[in-house]
Amino acid sequence: MAFRTEQEVDSLHATIECEQPQPDLYKFVGRINIYKDKEEPSCRPLGAENLLLRGATLKNTQHIYAVAVYTGMETKMALNYQSKSQKRSAVEKSMNAFLIVYLCILISKAVINTVLKYAWQWSPDRDEPWYNHRTENERQRHMVIRAFTDFLAFMVLFNYIIPVSMYVTVEMQKFLGSYFITWDEEMFDEELGEGAQVNTSDLNEELGQVEYVFTDKTGTLTENNMEFIECCVDGNVYIPHAICNGQILSAASSIDMIDSSPGGYRREHEDLFFRALCLCHTVQVKEEETVDGIKRGIHQGRPTSFYISSSPDEVALVEGMKRLGYTYLRLKDNYMEILNKDDEIERFELLHVLNFDSVRRRMSVIVKSSSGEYLLFCKGADSSIFPRVVSGKVEQVKARVEQNAIEGLRTLCVAYRRLSESEYQEACHHLNEAKLALQDREQRLAQAYDIIERDFVLLGATAVEDRLQEKAADTIESLHKAGMKVWVLTGDKMETAAATCYASKLFRRSTQILELTKKRTEEQSLHDVLFELNRTVLRQRSISGLSVDCLDFGLIIDGATLSAVLKANQERAGSGNYREIFLEICRNCSAVLCCRMAPLQKAQIVKLIKASKEHPITLAIGDGANDVSMILEAHVGIGIMGKEGRQAARNSDYAIPKFKHLKKMLLVHGHYYYIRIAELVQYFFLQNVCFIFPQFLYQFFCGFSQQPLYDTAYLTLYNISFTSLPILLYSLVEQHITMETLKRDPSLYRDIAKNSLLRWPVFLYWTCLGVFDAVIFFFGAYFLFDNTTFTSNGQLMTTNTQMMFGNWTFGTLVFTVLVFTVTLKLALDTHHWTWINHFVIWGSLLFYVIFSLLWGGIIWPFLNYQRMYYVFMQMLSSGPAWLSIILLITVSLLPDVIKKVLCRTMCPTATERAQSNRPCLTVEPSTIFMLSQSSSRMSF
Amino acid sequence: MMASSYNAKDEDGHITVSGPGGGTLRSKKPENTAFKQQRLPAWQPILTAGTVLPAFFIIGLLFIPIGIGLFVTSNNIKEFEVDYTGVDMSSPCFNCSQNFSWNSTRPCTCTIPFYLDQPYESNVYVYYGLSNFYQNHRRYVKSRDDSQLNGDVNSLMSPSKECEPYAFHENKPIAPCGAIANSMFNDTLELFYNDPNGTRIPIPLNTTGIAWWTDKHVKFGNPGGNPNLTAAFQGTTKPVNWRRPVYELDADPGNNGFINEDFIVWMRTAALPTFRKLYRIINKKSSMVPTLPRGNYTLEVVYNYPVRSFEGRKRVILSTISWMGGKNPFLGIAYITVGSVCFFLGVVLLIVHHKCGNRNNSADISN
Repeated sequence: MAFRTEQEVDSLHATIECEQPQPDLYKFVGRINIYKDKEEPSCRPLGAENLLLRGATLKNTQHIYAVAVYTGMETKMALNYQSKSQKRSAVEKSMNAFLIVYLCILISKAVINTVLKYAWQWSPDRDEPWYNHRTENERQRHMVIRAFTDFLAFMVLFNYIIPVSMYVTVEMQKFLGSYFITWDEEMFDEELGEGAQVNTSDLNEELGQVEYVFTDKTGTLTENNMEFIECCVDGNVYIPHAICNGQILSAASSIDMIDSSPGGYRREHEDLFFRALCLCHTVQVKEEETVDGIKRGIHQGRPTSFYISSSPDEVALVEGMKRLGYTYLRLKDNYMEILNKDDEIERFELLHVLNFDSVRRRMSVIVKSSSGEYLLFCKGADSSIFPRVVSGKVEQVKARVEQNAIEGLRTLCVAYRRLSESEYQEACHHLNEAKLALQDREQRLAQAYDIIERDFVLLGATAVEDRLQEKAADTIESLHKAGMKVWVLTGDKMETAAATCYASKLFRRSTQILELTKKRTEEQSLHDVLFELNRTVLRQRSISGLSVDCLDFGLIIDGATLSAVLKANQERAGSGNYREIFLEICRNCSAVLCCRMAPLQKAQIVKLIKASKEHPITLAIGDGANDVSMILEAHVGIGIMGKEGRQAARNSDYAIPKFKHLKKMLLVHGHYYYIRIAELVQYFFLQNVCFIFPQFLYQFFCGFSQQPLYDTAYLTLYNISFTSLPILLYSLVEQHITMETLKRDPSLYRDIAKNSLLRWPVFLYWTCLGVFDAVIFFFGAYFLFDNTTFTSNGQLMTTNTQMMFGNWTFGTLVFTVLVFTVTLKLALDTHHWTWINHFVIWGSLLFYVIFSLLWGGIIWPFLNYQRMYYVFMQMLSSGPAWLSIILLITVSLLPDVIKKVLCRTMCPTATERAQSNRPCLTVEPSTIFMLSQSSSRMSF
Repeated sequence: MMASSYNAKDEDGHITVSGPGGGTLRSKKPENTAFKQQRLPAWQPILTAGTVLPAFFIIGLLFIPIGIGLFVTSNNIKEFEVDYTGVDMSSPCFNCSQNFSWNSTRPCTCTIPFYLDQPYESNVYVYYGLSNFYQNHRRYVKSRDDSQLNGDVNSLMSPSKECEPYAFHENKPIAPCGAIANSMFNDTLELFYNDPNGTRIPIPLNTTGIAWWTDKHVKFGNPGGNPNLTAAFQGTTKPVNWRRPVYELDADPGNNGFINEDFIVWMRTAALPTFRKLYRIINKKSSMVPTLPRGNYTLEVVYNYPVRSFEGRKRVILSTISWMGGKNPFLGIAYITVGSVCFFLGVVLLIVHHKCGNRNNSADISN
């Protein structure tokens, strides 16, 4: 019953029953009822193998006939799609928190002043002395309205404490700053021809805050480029085109060598082994596109066709076989054709395929050779093959497999079984029965497979390498040292993933592996396993106590168990909170491997960690469409611009060409961006406190009349032109430590972990500093102007010509001290003085002076007041003004300098140590060596 | 291994996709400039005890002498102050202050005797001081029209709204308008030296040179360029509280109208509610005789200015000045204090640096 044309399909009369849409990509249960005239309707099962997912592309056929079962938002891919939500960085969150504090300060300032104003002017002589009457209109206004307008006026007067321009500057800093990532030459990949790419500039500083890294395996940690490395038949190793036992051997000669060795038994195994690998797979052959109308055949020796499979391992195996002389040609009319090394075509009839599944972890085929023999070939994970082997050189193969696994190679064992006619019939019977079952189909199939796949004769093993990306291990090691927890989330099976984890140093030899897998939970209940693991972890922690870092745990969990953990929690909320226990275990593991994950599960696990009580900052990195949901879920999503598609890169916040670039991205760029923006935020608040607090104090001396201390031009331009440029440039080019140091010493990253520069104590310190400075500015000027409070007599601040100064001079004096102090404070914080910093810092001070001279030097025709006329010049022509400006600046800067110096001397942070070590490091390379040695010793 | 996982990334299977052409490849490569690679040459200072120490000592050594200099200078300045508000019954101006009324035509005069126990050698500056007078009140500060004061004829006839309620009086524009001008200090102070032989010698008081030069010559100007000020101010009326119109402030045409220096000084609003303003200058006549010799003096006050309604005080101050202005011990004391604190901190840091620095170094080495 085949449908090859549209007419034939059209004649089909059938109904399809299927389950409700659900996100599991690997699962589909349905059936098709085909109605034929007069006959009983026949029923066929539909499984995941019958389903094409949205976005799938046809590879080896021109067209197919299909029925759409799920459409639109109900497709499995759409259900796995995570809607894009706006991401905000932790810095932004603390920024907003600070802002709320300042808003409260602003409102309370306004309220205090309004209340005091009305208390103060209770007596009419104060409210309206004879020299200062209200207009008739104002007088008639109702008291409440007047109070309200006063309140609003105070709000307007003090509103500069809310650094509105900070938001503009932060945005500019982020936008411009992100160019440094794009420009980074070290993150440019020659091969790909692309550098890093920034899709959102909102999260630059978040790169410096990462605590959890969730990484995909295939294509991210590894190249996703499988390569057949070797095979081993009965303990003899075959390596195509490579060094074998110290000799360079071509594929052919290695076979020859074996030919020459005696023993027909061995020869037979070898033949079977190669055939097994050529037959036991689900690879499909796609012939190369015709070139110039001539269809190039496969016969002409070298490969002209492609192998296609959903598993790259199989392709690598089949290609490896080709290099060893056995070429799989095609599957034609249920016959598999192999070109053996003698250039003869062998044909095998393909009878049954016992598909791979993750529980069995093996697959088999049953073929009938041209000589009429029934053969069952099986390949699979060593753990699932060895128990079923009855003969063969188990010991040698096992040794080889173990050695390969240690090297991080993906190993498979190959075995076969000769079936007699009756055995074959029995197997057929089992299989067909199971396949047609509508209920518990999977279980019955598994049972059938179990019966058939036994009494194997072991042939050998293969090793395929999915090469780790360049420097992947180094990167992971650095991330570990930087205090990040690295989780590998992969769809692959556990063994493969674990091998990669070892190779990439995610797990070290000393790592104690905790397993939380389906296999284990089948034996014990989930509850018991969780509690047991938790006990192990806690006990170890309490025992080791001091030497915590000498024992670290690695956790392996698979998708099924994970969903069980999460589901159990939903069902019985509160009691026996698995989620908490699971998180507790994870918290104590330096590395976690999650295998067999569906895309949405990846996102779920990211979400789980995100929502845990410490609210850690998470980063997800991946390269494929299946990583998109976790990339979108994590605080920072990074896409690898892999060979496959750009979906991850498009949906990510940052895209980098290779995994190794993550190191520089986090340790250097992230670190820089964080300290830059932290300083930017704190500095802006400081700058505005310094600016507005004197104005607040002034209200106590001007009858709470909302008289501004500074001229309008100063009020407007303070944030825009006098102070914003130096901090903007600082926040673009500051490098408190050199890049090399940051890269060399990843532990410096810990210094800024947990938003350490924007925590409340730090914020409080900066605010206090701001208030202190403001008090110094205001009362410094006050005592210099006032002649009764402090000195009882004596007239101050007069020029040699004895002209008295007015309130605008007072404000200008305070403002001048303010601008200089604030700019010099930034200068003190700058650790990296490029010509840009010099230019901007001194330039903006110069600009202030020039502007003030100009502003006061001309009668501006468009202004209706000339209050600033010559004020600045008159002030500068007075000696005491200069002296007091210098004095006030010195006093304002003093506490911060002292705090810095004392902190650095008494309890230096790692960062500060690295800073002061800088000169000596360059001078004495031996010290570096010693330091690096000791640090590496510590980490092991 | 069939379908070991559905990999969306396997869309491409194993067909190798040839990368983009070499040409586009090059253009995408970021430029290797120092700025773009964040490798600009830079000076990298660190604030350590070692670098800050010398700065502290230098500041200490610089500030203390400056402070001492300032303090000594300030102490050498001679200053005399007398309060003539007339709050007490005993005060000579008590009657004037009690009987004050805006409408009285006959000026009230009071005489205050005082004694200077040391001679004032150099130029002496006479100030009047007011307390509890909020010249810095917002409503007050803005109540002026700078273009009117600059001599603009349009503004003269239609003063700015800021001057309200002191802009118009009986439908005539007020010149100068606004609360500041309206409340101009109008006590007249005269100083007499009581010669030991009993004669009262009037001391000449200079009315000019007390305002900023730029204010007098640029910022303020009489309207119209008409030398006859009476004509120039035609159609305007005097401020409500003034006794004379603005064009009768002084007989000297160079010090009359808006460019009257007493007026200009008043118009520069003070920063704080207690302030003093320059009133007159007593110039030194010759180097032989002190400007104000030791002895008895009489201050004659024409008491026009009411301050008791807002609990204000009025003072007269006589003061000499130095290079650093008037009497101001604060600056000197502040300099001495800051200098000493810096010096002290320098010593503390030196000790800390010595102890901790050694400890850190040894820790580094032993590591």
